[in-house]
Amino acid sequence: MKRTPIVLAATAAGLATVLGFHTQQMSGSILSGLGKAGTGTTPTGSPSGTSGANTTTTAGSSSTGSSTSSSTPSTTTTTAASGTRTALGADVQYRYGELELQVTVTAGRITNVQPAIDTAFDPRSSQVNSYAEPLLQSQTLQAQSANINGVSGATFTSQAYVQSLQAALDKLGIK
Amino acid sequence: MADTATTPRGEGRAGSSSPPRAEFPADPVLRHVHAVMGTMVSFDVRIGEGEPQRAHVGLARACARLDRADAVFSTWKPNSPMSLLRANAIRLGEAPPELAAVLELCAIARDLSGGWFDPWNLPGGLDPTGLVKGWAADRALDELRAAGVRAAMVSAGGDLASFGGPEPGSPWRIGVRDPWAADRIACVLESPGAVATSGCYERGNHVFDPRSGRAEARCQSATVTGPELWLADALATGLLVAGEAGLALVEAVAGYEACVISGSGSIAMTGSFPVAP
Repeated sequence: MKRTPIVLAATAAGLATVLGFHTQQMSGSILSGLGKAGTGTTPTGSPSGTSGANTTTTAGSSSTGSSTSSSTPSTTTTTAASGTRTALGADVQYRYGELELQVTVTAGRITNVQPAIDTAFDPRSSQVNSYAEPLLQSQTLQAQSANINGVSGATFTSQAYVQSLQAALDKLGIK
Repeated sequence: MADTATTPRGEGRAGSSSPPRAEFPADPVLRHVHAVMGTMVSFDVRIGEGEPQRAHVGLARACARLDRADAVFSTWKPNSPMSLLRANAIRLGEAPPELAAVLELCAIARDLSGGWFDPWNLPGGLDPTGLVKGWAADRALDELRAAGVRAAMVSAGGDLASFGGPEPGSPWRIGVRDPWAADRIACVLESPGAVATSGCYERGNHVFDPRSGRAEARCQSATVTGPELWLADALATGLLVAGEAGLALVEAVAGYEACVISGSGSIAMTGSFPVAP
């Protein structure tokens, strides 16, 4: 931290659910939408995709089927200019707690992403978050280097959103 | 809510005399994430010279449009008009008017896709899901346009509708997700207004081939760009089934371009697919 970086904090809530979303019984309120996903009743513990990010879903064995989320979307106004980007996004409270992230911006570039406060409130969450942190860091740096504003991909579920690159963009407000 | 801790760290920042707030009038950004339709819809709104209050009202209306679309079209809610229509519990004339309007669009998309997208020919019966999310995002964007903001982008769970750009004169840059890794991008494109991607990697193989009658996709991922998301969404749904052979069909639709990522990871695209420089 020699270059006097600006540090932003962003809450990446519920990252832990990346381990659960393939296996849990999804509640009606979450999957009440238009998606035709058959995953709502998928009883298997194996991820349906071949995504490298998903392959660790077996590690946490955290498919409790109870990761009901209450979503309180919120808005933040910030400025596009300068390095003073504001933490963003939905305040999504998941079963497994929240993760506070510190985003280090040096000379207008994101140079590091690291957990600031781990508010996970059960022991399993700590395990889970330790997996999720490097993933989000990788996502953030990737988005930064590609200089993208959004990500197009197959429709993700509400739960899978937390591990999406779009979520990283939303939460960090990368230009 | 994530608090914005703009914590100064280090000597230079601590001595800063001009707080960042002073720069706020430049081009304020409004961001929002809305949980609806079983996914998350992200908004990136550049207010520009417009009235911030109007932008907030536009955003609220945009979310209301999405909620309404969910209430009308959800096939998961047993009492939605769409579900009732599927169950023959109501007639089309008794349903909210947007239902007939969307089915008209479905018919157009079915014809333009050469039948690869066919909401009437699915195992569970009539299901316009492959078009509705895009259509709803289009309508949400209408509200933001009407609010007089300089630019806006709506990402409906991976399908994006937008106008303007992050800076005046520069287009929205959209990454197409690598089908094999959630944290990787396969390519970057400049949005002409709508970008839709279909793939099996997020929610399992939910793809149905209306021609063969089997659950079958002929590529890993299909992306369609064009002026409007309802059609891009529907064409991407069909293209995932059709695979590379479907590119010619999309190319024949004026203003629409496409790319498909094959099982081996190779990318094939139409002649004018808007790859970012």
